[in-house]
Amino acid sequence: MTSIREQPTQLLPALFRHVDEDQRLQVLHLGPACQDTLDFFSSYRCRLQIIDLFAELPVPAEEDTQSGLQDYFRDLLQLNPDTRFDVCLFWDLFNYLPAAALQAFMQVLAPHLADTCLGHAFSVHNPRTEELPLLFGIRDSDCLGVRRRAAPVPGYAPHSQNRLKELLHCFAMERSVLLADRRLELLLRARAAEPARH
Amino acid sequence: MIGPSITIKGEVTGEEDLLIQGKVEGTINLKDQEVSVGQSGEVTADVNARVVKIDGKVTGDISGTEKVVISQSGNVRGNIVAPRVTLEDGAIFKGSIDMDPGDSAASKASLTKQQPANSPVPDLDLKSG
Repeated sequence: MTSIREQPTQLLPALFRHVDEDQRLQVLHLGPACQDTLDFFSSYRCRLQIIDLFAELPVPAEEDTQSGLQDYFRDLLQLNPDTRFDVCLFWDLFNYLPAAALQAFMQVLAPHLADTCLGHAFSVHNPRTEELPLLFGIRDSDCLGVRRRAAPVPGYAPHSQNRLKELLHCFAMERSVLLADRRLELLLRARAAEPARH
Repeated sequence: MIGPSITIKGEVTGEEDLLIQGKVEGTINLKDQEVSVGQSGEVTADVNARVVKIDGKVTGDISGTEKVVISQSGNVRGNIVAPRVTLEDGAIFKGSIDMDPGDSAASKASLTKQQPANSPVPDLDLKSG
């Protein structure tokens, strides 16, 4: 097992800053969960939906239409119609989904986002950035536990930040922070939750 | 114990701890006891117990009034309700986990840290939008 290193995070605290103590938080965790993350969320009233989409990669080549891709993700996610997520933890999933797949995934996810939903993700500053296959856990709201995956994840093909903005149509990219290894940390806000522009 | 060659279809109830090495389809209600699904165990059932330990495969919803433990060889597809859940490195889990810490939730929500002013994190903050 590779060692876990701590990685401070500037954007993750925003996801939990306005959590009402009476609120039952609905969290979508798209990746393998680790004990750190469970321990972190065990202090909240929450439902943690854990779906390791990384284990399903790459997206099968035969799913090449938007409707086919949407059916594929709908089948993987199997979300109840009334599920509305307050927090989405994408980790670095966007780096492994081709554009069409990412659009279809967002299409499927959009009806399940609460108006105030916030998301957190990692992407890259430059699409030529080499793959850094990592596993993430939450140690605290401002600190992640990060370790190398045992094997690379298939389908690495990251998008530029501008392209990602286009593809994440149900989220606005609220803030991004450039990390030391040319990765970007992203804070996303569901479109419906965007503050009104005056 | 339910041995590796045994298959049970239906409802399992009782007042003693249970180790499952075989197959169970249906429901398992041992609410004050400990249910262990061994490495060769395959359970397609909702499981209600005080403690549930999984080394094998479970498809179904799990309720543990004390805790649920999924070991590194465990494979669970379903929803878990328990005050404490342990997920060992390598365990496979797909589903939801309902947690309710009771009164301590308020303290966690209010303890969520503000970003310290001297944080060493970002090299560059790119404001998007």
